[in-house]
Amino acid sequence: MRPTKIIVLLLCLFSLTSFAQEKFTLSGVVTDGESGETLIGATVFVTEIAAGTTTNEYGFYSISLPANQPLKVEFSYVGFQNTTKEISLSGNETLDLGLGTGVALDEVVVKANSFQEQLRSTEMSVESITTKEVKTLPSVLGETDILKVIQLKPGIPSGGEGTTGLYVRGGGQDQNLIVLDEAVVYNPNHLFGFFSTFNTDAVKDLKLYKGGFPPQYGGRLSSVIDVKLKEGNNKRFSGAGGLGIISSRLTLEGPIEKDKSSFIVSGRRTYFDLITRQVNKANEDVEDNQPIPDYFFYDLNTKINFKLGQKDHLYLSGYFGRDQFGFDNETFNFGFNWGNVTSTARWNHQFNPKLFSNTTVTFSDYRYKISNEIVGFSFNLDSKIRDVNLKTDFYQNLNSKNTLRYGASVTYHEFTVGRLKAGSDDGEISFSGGNEYDGMEYGIYLSDDWEASSRLKVNGGLRLSGFSNDGTFYYGLEPRVAANYKMTNNFSLKGSYARMNQYVHLVSNSGLSLPTDVWYPSTKLVEPQTSDQVAVGGSVLFEMLGTELFFTNEYFYKWLDKQIDFIDGAELFANDELEQEFVFGDGWSYGGEFSIEKRTGDLTGWIGYTYSKIRRGNFFGPKGDVMEGRYFAPRYDRRHDISVVAMYKINERFRAGATWVYGSGDLSWLPGGRFTFQDVPGAEFQAVVPSYGDRNTFRLPAFHRLDLNLIVKLGLKKKRENPNRRWESDLTLSVINAYDRRNAFFIFLDVEFSEGMDDGGNIIELPSGVAAKQVSLFPILPALTYNFKF
Amino acid sequence: MKIQYIFPILFLVSILASCNLTQDVEIDLPDYDRQPVVECYLEPGQPYQLLLTRSFGFFAPFDTSDGQFLENVIETGATITIRHDNKTITLEEGMVFNPFTFKVFNYGSSEIVPEDFDNEFELDIVLADGETITGKTTIPVKVPLDSVVIEFESDAATDTMARALTYFTDPDPSIENRFRRQFHWNSLIDSMPQQDFLATDQFAENGRIVFGTGFDYPVGDTIYNTVFNLNRDYSDFLESVVISIQSNGNPFGQPAAIDSNLGGTADALGIFTGLSYSREMTIIEK
Repeated sequence: MRPTKIIVLLLCLFSLTSFAQEKFTLSGVVTDGESGETLIGATVFVTEIAAGTTTNEYGFYSISLPANQPLKVEFSYVGFQNTTKEISLSGNETLDLGLGTGVALDEVVVKANSFQEQLRSTEMSVESITTKEVKTLPSVLGETDILKVIQLKPGIPSGGEGTTGLYVRGGGQDQNLIVLDEAVVYNPNHLFGFFSTFNTDAVKDLKLYKGGFPPQYGGRLSSVIDVKLKEGNNKRFSGAGGLGIISSRLTLEGPIEKDKSSFIVSGRRTYFDLITRQVNKANEDVEDNQPIPDYFFYDLNTKINFKLGQKDHLYLSGYFGRDQFGFDNETFNFGFNWGNVTSTARWNHQFNPKLFSNTTVTFSDYRYKISNEIVGFSFNLDSKIRDVNLKTDFYQNLNSKNTLRYGASVTYHEFTVGRLKAGSDDGEISFSGGNEYDGMEYGIYLSDDWEASSRLKVNGGLRLSGFSNDGTFYYGLEPRVAANYKMTNNFSLKGSYARMNQYVHLVSNSGLSLPTDVWYPSTKLVEPQTSDQVAVGGSVLFEMLGTELFFTNEYFYKWLDKQIDFIDGAELFANDELEQEFVFGDGWSYGGEFSIEKRTGDLTGWIGYTYSKIRRGNFFGPKGDVMEGRYFAPRYDRRHDISVVAMYKINERFRAGATWVYGSGDLSWLPGGRFTFQDVPGAEFQAVVPSYGDRNTFRLPAFHRLDLNLIVKLGLKKKRENPNRRWESDLTLSVINAYDRRNAFFIFLDVEFSEGMDDGGNIIELPSGVAAKQVSLFPILPALTYNFKF
Repeated sequence: MKIQYIFPILFLVSILASCNLTQDVEIDLPDYDRQPVVECYLEPGQPYQLLLTRSFGFFAPFDTSDGQFLENVIETGATITIRHDNKTITLEEGMVFNPFTFKVFNYGSSEIVPEDFDNEFELDIVLADGETITGKTTIPVKVPLDSVVIEFESDAATDTMARALTYFTDPDPSIENRFRRQFHWNSLIDSMPQQDFLATDQFAENGRIVFGTGFDYPVGDTIYNTVFNLNRDYSDFLESVVISIQSNGNPFGQPAAIDSNLGGTADALGIFTGLSYSREMTIIEK
């Protein structure tokens, strides 16, 4: 069938449904009644006609309802009191609503509704987390981290002990699209991945897509992590903060003009450096003292928004974060810093009750810089990626059965790869290197959320993406489809298919993530990566022992093509012909994910289990191959992954959280053999050289860890005496690795030496044996944090 | 127990427990087939010499009870020949220890490697078990040092610390050339090199390459500057050796299989290469 015929047929279908009965549109924005924050994904449901919708990421909803019929419209959102409005539409109407925080009884209803919404929605393979959950769960050194908590959900194994690297459904760590207020964050890590760049106090919402990607997203193969910052309280001035053992943070927010505009500023800084400087000072006179390098990181989030009348809203937001590492002494001065800058200007416009648009301009910049000065000689190396993006999205409530979403996006990328400048101060020695590239990335999409029947909902769409760089142009069609069939009120089946293209690539070795990993564009040699993912699953809402539980299971299979790896011994640092080191191959992964969740009562939480298998191979490139093209398991091929998460409200004063995780050990590439190598005259004698065979043939011991958290609310008595008191505070005690399990961070093989005697009777050191050494990262690790808000 | 006491006690317990994050563990590595290992450097003016050993599984015990560690790993009973310019040189089995270079070879010949930068050298080894090892190489041309310049930060008499700038010319800017730089202070052989690294002509400026040091060397001391011109095979092999050593114990590193340039049926590791270098000794004077 020709495309024009399909379009005509679709329009006819839409028309049939839309002219069946006279209808009007109810639209508006749902907000938190106390702060004015828009609520994302709030449910709007009309019982009489069993129809509903949810607010979009800007809090906007639009629903077509029968004319002149008394209807009860129920608005609900997790953690807020349900509100029901009685209406009878004689024309299009706008209803903006502020929801109040829930009392205990309503909370049960609201949370049950959120399960119902999951059963109804076509979205699958989606995980979300609330900041309340993040704050209740244990955190390393008291630093709450939303990216680490999301890794407790099934299908999102972490990159290993302590890291925020994400390997979603067998994807690599560069295959995650991470956006903060729609601006791409290229490196979401602080301190080599031990902490993420997201300051929980400033985050409003995080949603992670593992599959079934909606067509508005593109550019990465394996996941989309969409983080939205708070907008700022437009009712009253308020603040929140915390004092921890390694960092402090403060967030201030308030109205610029009440109910019309607001601001939020949120910052945090670690103070390792203040502590280590004192330690260094105290050890100044100690012989052979090795000073501890300076290290700290900081983040700053800002946002302001203005309501420009009833139909327009303007948001301006920015993020600035840096990690600073430095080491100075008499002979050299070493500095290493890296970080992201993002900024977003967003304009929401409501054309009419059925059509809403969002136009965004974003700027993203990630860079690192290494500099070193040794007497008379200096060395500077830096890389960066910088984007400017313009996109516009339209949401159109076409009729009661169809909601369209369409839009376009264009991004200008600028890459600086390994820019090196080194030489002596007098110019006698001077060398430089590095490359600069640019590229344009394009995307247009159309999708329709179609309620085919009371049981069947389908979201179908198509994205056309492209990339141009130096005369090379790539494009790809990316069909996306997701369907939900509601078998009963409490049981639904879902399925999805998504094709994704990725045009920019992270140059990273198979070791742990480093800030020096650089982004590289698609070129004539480097073709775009592609993936196809199929997922099916089901969800059941059921009661057991009087408790409502939500069971979800999903099965996926993912094909990956044009995957990028490196030849053995690749030179990734300051290499002007970096892509010559690349090899290109394919891969696949499959698995099953199961979770059971409880959201009501004093005890809440979930249990998740993931089974998966991952392979990569067929790698060939200009300079050679990897393992003659044979397939191998990547380091993060973790067969079993279990997480148990519990949050318990003991009483008004105490709240506890616990997580237990178990994972099959990661794979490691260890040397199978060793040989003696003496080298040429004048070289340092290398007695033992490890000989590495096939990649990743050794599995580390299984990983498991119990983390605990206890929150003690302070000042409850004063609050009881004065209910209007705004100051609230708590002490949070986190204990990471409560039973002191020594999990393997990595393993290495160590040659041990003992004293022997040569022919001349001289004492010499000879190799005497080999031991496997395991390095762990965390012993039992408690942290105490004082948190407050007003 | 009151809650205010729980925090400090837990904190104290954890501090005590936070030691010893590296521990010995028992692991089973996949089966490993031992491989022959060849090291043979053809240096003009020096005799043909070759070290033939065999690799071990990483956990195999070191037998150092008799103090002759090397003899426990050498491979005996092999027939080794090197063909060059229609001439076949047989390397006889026998341990040779050079007390000046601290190097050991277990096969050698009294024949001297000629200064021939054009014709190929071909290695043939037949091991005692009949397996074979083959290799081919040439001797790269020597790259002369243009100059070694000694400089001081100032002309003041009290300024006695110098640096050395070593200049040489890229022999062929149209292709990628690879070098190995060594810098020794005071002694050439029995001290660790102060600098020993691989480089390419990527950083040549107007065809000239310069290596430098800091102002670290006092008047009166002796320094040795060496620049090897490397065959690509040898450079790749050395790089893979360095990466293998550095990757073991480094969670951020990516290991590499040893990039040998040997053929034959024995699946051997190692290198057969011509060796060519320029070296200059300088006594620092002001």
